[in-house]
This record gives sequence, structure tokens and C-alpha cells, in this order.
Amino acid sequence: MTTFAQAVLSGTAQGAIYALLALGFVIIYKATHVISFAQPALMVIGGLFSYHFSAVMGWPFWPSLFVAILLGAGLGMLIERLALRQMVGKSVFTMAVITIGVDVVLRVLANRYIGADSRVMRYPGGGERYEFLGLAISHRQLTILAVTLITVVSLALFFRYAKAGLAMRATALSQETALAQGVRVGAIFALAWAIAGGLAAIAGTFIATGSGGSEQDTWIIALKALPAIIIGGLDSLQGAVIGGLAVGIVEQLTAVYQSTYLPFLGTNFSLVAPYALMLVVLLIRPYGLFGTREVERV
Amino acid sequence: MRKHGLLPKTLAGAAIAALALTGCRGDGGGGGDAEADDAGSGPGVSSDPCPDAVNEDNGCITLGIITDLTDTFSAVAVPLTEAQEAFWQRVNENGGVGGFDVQLVIADGEYDPQATSQRYQEMRTDILALAQALGSSQVMAILDDMRDDDVIAAPASWNSAWDFESLIVESGANYCFEAMNGVDWAVAERGEIESVMAIGYPTDFGEDAAYGAEAAAEANGLEYTQITTPTGQDNQAEAVSRIVQDDPDLVVITAGPTETATIIAGAASSGWEGTAIGSSPTWNPGLLQSDAAPVLEERYFHLSPWGPWDYDSEGHAAMQEALGDVTPNFAYVMGWAWSYPVLAVLEDAAEMEGGITRENLVEAAEQLESVDYEGILPEEAGLRAGDPSETAYRASVINRVSPDAPGGTELEQDLTVGPTAEAYDYTGPCAALD
Repeated sequence: MTTFAQAVLSGTAQGAIYALLALGFVIIYKATHVISFAQPALMVIGGLFSYHFSAVMGWPFWPSLFVAILLGAGLGMLIERLALRQMVGKSVFTMAVITIGVDVVLRVLANRYIGADSRVMRYPGGGERYEFLGLAISHRQLTILAVTLITVVSLALFFRYAKAGLAMRATALSQETALAQGVRVGAIFALAWAIAGGLAAIAGTFIATGSGGSEQDTWIIALKALPAIIIGGLDSLQGAVIGGLAVGIVEQLTAVYQSTYLPFLGTNFSLVAPYALMLVVLLIRPYGLFGTREVERV
Repeated sequence: MRKHGLLPKTLAGAAIAALALTGCRGDGGGGGDAEADDAGSGPGVSSDPCPDAVNEDNGCITLGIITDLTDTFSAVAVPLTEAQEAFWQRVNENGGVGGFDVQLVIADGEYDPQATSQRYQEMRTDILALAQALGSSQVMAILDDMRDDDVIAAPASWNSAWDFESLIVESGANYCFEAMNGVDWAVAERGEIESVMAIGYPTDFGEDAAYGAEAAAEANGLEYTQITTPTGQDNQAEAVSRIVQDDPDLVVITAGPTETATIIAGAASSGWEGTAIGSSPTWNPGLLQSDAAPVLEERYFHLSPWGPWDYDSEGHAAMQEALGDVTPNFAYVMGWAWSYPVLAVLEDAAEMEGGITRENLVEAAEQLESVDYEGILPEEAGLRAGDPSETAYRASVINRVSPDAPGGTELEQDLTVGPTAEAYDYTGPCAALD
């Protein structure tokens, strides 16, 4: 039982990072109906912002993270303004392809900065660990969970009570109606990208504090948010969080138990497990666990 | 990779373009004056000086490098390649070899067999030999073409298969012997060892070391298990889980530095208290900045075929002088040491009838009896003439992590052949390459 609980705990910590990334995907999708494939690059660059302030300029960890979030948000807005605003009204497929291009360009720039070595950001808690009821959790994992929790609650409050949050929800429901009600839809698009950029920066920062730091192929981690958003539902914020956590937990549980109970699946099936879960969810609920069922009048 | 993301490609492209423009390429045996033909001829050999010749009176030899500037091992390959550039620059500054300066054409094989093959096709008519061919399956992808072309190569890998391949002029103990020596050392020095787990990429690289670990485990009467692991720090959960579940006393890792640190730190944080040894490519000094550093310092040992950055040898000193002000990194030592056999083969070929040609290089490589490694390895480590079971060099070193040491590691045990490697009946490669 302890093994199971430990796997769930470790998976939840890893899943929290996926959840932050998935939230970025979903927020942009809800606002613009475009899936942004630039999230991996935003994650890497956000992490590099933190790394630069912390490791190169010698700033403390938390101010580095805070400024990285702001810069990540600014970068998100810049992408929206320069690459996507002019394309409003074009097909979402065209805009998704543009985000792929943006991602490639940004990653090339990021890789120029990363260079040959991995960019490892020193985490202030070091390798400190805590034990409770036989379960172990590191200082870093605990911080990831706390930061994710604070972020998710803040976003929920923002969307429920803030004027801009309400405007975003209105825009997500109907851009034309929101426009008719005086909502500046363009600004809402920019805000969505800013939030997604900030979330990606948080995720990238905590990835950079991991044992391997930030490398040229670190961006691949962000792709694990894709099964998360499909599982949770493309247009559901709570779905993104639960989907992200589910991916992390399923990955960890498979890593722990599969070789014992399902050895015929071979080694490293844990990499495939989130996608297997995604397929199962799609078979049962094609719009995801919390996604909106699409109804078309025929 | 990455230190020069686009730059190396640009430079390589520029170098190839410069070759075409300056005509500094092989005559196919049909050109050049009689004097040049005596010194050498054929692809990659020209009687004209190199575009950036150190010695204007010398001809020009072109050596190719197919490395990994942008993928899994770029963190290692970039400094490795820089060291080789410095090595050949030093050769040129010392007068060249056989009346020729050496110039390099560098291409990014992306640690991918197909890309490696493509890069080779692009340079195959322009080069005399390969000063570096990185990877195991990557080299296998071009080996048939190399045979057709009579092109020898210095590998940037330590696969046991190279001991049985005449065109590959390898240096140092291979992954297989390295793992044997590591397990033997751990049994002798790291307390009671009863079980070994080999964790590696599902590639020739991982398989070769795992074979050596298994042989040493059998020789020492240890329980042995083996798992594979993919690349990516986020994909190591299963490896960590297996270590925690099986609780081996010793783990032998054959992966990249990131994966190594993630596995060891992850397992240690879940209560595993064993020892980890890692093949040469598992270490990168950047890991000292990670939260895994204390764990690595305590229980990770780096296996390598020769001594670390600050090892006391003429070759190490020459390398440090040639490289100048760089951040110490074992990868530099790798690139530097791997270059010596190519130089030895060039020098031997220069003495042969017809001078430096591809064919003479192949013959010289097969007859190589010693290589002057300037103390990095003993001269007999270069012996290639004869049966691999008699000639293969089996000694390797053990390094420990030391944050204060240049390059982050210091010597724990100097070049030593363990009892398993000593007694091993070496009639074929440990892990066969397809």
C-alpha cells in the first residue's frame, strides 16, 4: 500500500508540471479556438529566463521565477501580437501551423543559448526530503505541488471574479457576442497568451531545477500535456489539471507495477501508458472527461 | 550540440564550399605532380596548401568529422570536436604530417544513422579519412561505404566491435571491458556487493556495457538483472522504480549524463543506498549544479578508458595548452586521445610507397603496433596488428566525483585490468552490431 501511495504522490508531483502546461494549452484554446504548439518553446524559454537570472546573474530563486513569469507572459503576448493577430478569422488549422513555426524559431534561439551543456538551475531546497506516514517527498516536489495549487486556485478566482476573467469566459463562449458587448477580443487573445506564457515559465523553471536541467531536447516534456488535455477535455480548465495529474500518476503507477503484473507489455511501457489512457477516455467520452460535448444542428 | 547550434553547420558548409572553390581536394589519383604523388595522392590529399595553411609549403590533407552537434550526445560531442580541432592545429603547428597540413570538415550526424550516412555521402569524395565518427550504430550505417572507399575512421565510441573492424582505429578499453573493470573494482572496494543491475539505452552502446557487467557479475558470483531505459529525464521513472524494487547493491549505467543523474538521484531519494558506476558518456560536469550533485559525489563513479582532465601526462598537458582557456571537461580528453591513432597511421602511411593514400592508411592501420599517446595511454594500447583477443587493450580507470577538481572528477583508480577482463576469452564483440 505504501508503494502505491508513494507512486501516486510522486506521480502527482510530476503531473503538476504537466497540469501547468496543459492549462496553457487550454486557456489559449478556449480564447482563440487554436491549439498552440508553441507551448514547448515557451516552457523552455521560461525556464531559461529563470536560469539566467538565478545561475548567471546570481538572483535568488523566487525573484528569478517571478521575473521569468512576467517575461514569459510578455513573450506570449508578443507572439500573439506579431504572429497571430493578423490571422484572426483565418482557419484554426492555419493558425495552429503558425504556432508550430513560432515554436521552431523560438527553440532554435533557445538552443543557441543552451549550447552544449545542460542548463541546470540550483534549487534552494537542495535535495532535502520529508517523510510522513512512510511516504517520502522532496522539498522540490512539495514546492511544485504548492505552486501548482496556488496557481490553479488563483486562475479559478480570476476567471470567476475578475472583470478580465469574465471577459475571457465570454469570449470563449462566443467571440462575436463578446465583441458586441464591448469586450476587446484582441486584448483577450493577448491575455490568454500571456497567461499561457507565464504558466509555461513556471513549468520550465521547475524542470530546469531537476537533475538534468534544461537541455536542447527538454521541450519534448511539454508534449506530455497533449494527452492530458485530451483526457481532461480541450476546453476545460479543471480537465487540464486533472488530465495533467492523471498522466503523471498513470506514468508512475505503470513504471512501478507494470513489470510485475503485465511483463508481456515489455519495458518502458510507462511512456505509452498516458496515451493508452487517452485512447480509453476517447472511446468512452470523445470530448474528454470534462470537455464540452459538441452538438451540431443538422 | 549546441554550443554552436547553427554555427557548426554553417562553418561546415563554408568549409565544404571553400574546398570546392580552392580545389583543395583529391585528384582521384590522376592529378598532382610526381613529388606530390610520392608523398601522397587520392581523395582528400592535395599538393596545394590548405586554405588556412599553417605551413604554406605543405600539401593539404582533408579529414572528415561526423559528430553530434545537436542531439543526445552533443553536450559531449561539441567539446570533443573542439579538442580534435585543437589536436590537428597543433599537428600543423608542429610542421604537419608527411609534408601535409591537416584540415577538418565537420558535419552534424545528429546521433542518427541515417543523417550520419547522408553526411558521409556529402563528404566521401573529399576526405582522406574520418578523424571522428560518432556513435556505434551510426558508424555501422556507413561502414559498408567506408569499405568501398577504403576510408578509416577514429570512432567516438568505445564499442567492442571496433576491435574486430580493421577500418576503425579505436583507443582505450571498450564499454564491455570498462564495465567488467568497474564491477570488479566495486566488488573489491565498495563493501559487500551481491547484486548488479545494468541499466542502459536499448542500443549497441547500452548492450555492450551490459554484456561486460553480466560477465563480471557471473565471474564474481553476483545476482544480475538488466533493464533498458529511453532518453529523457522525464522518462526515467521505470528505471528508478526497478532500482528501488530490486535494491541492487551495484548499478551499471550506460546512458547520457542527464538520465544518469535522474536515475541515481531518484533512486537514492527513494531509499536506495547502493553504488552506481557509469560508462564514459554518463558524466558531464554540469551535473555538479544539479540537486543530484551530493548523491553523485557520494555513490557515483565514472568509468573511463583514460584519466580525467587533470591527469598527469604529457598528452593531457599538451591538450590543456592547445585548448587554452576552456572549462575543463572530460569530453576534451576524449577527443584529444582518440586522435593519436589517426596521426600514427598517417605517419606510418607517409613512410610507405606511394605515401599518404587511402589504401596505405588501411594497410598502416592493420599493421599498427604502437601509438604514442604521450602518456595518456601506454604505447602498447595502440597495438592492432594481430588477433584482437591478444591485442585488445583492457585497462580502464575509475574516477570519483569531486566538485573541486577540474572537470568535476578525480582519479580513484589508475589504468587497471580487473580479473574478469584479464581472463575474458575475447573471440568476438561483446554485443554484436547489426
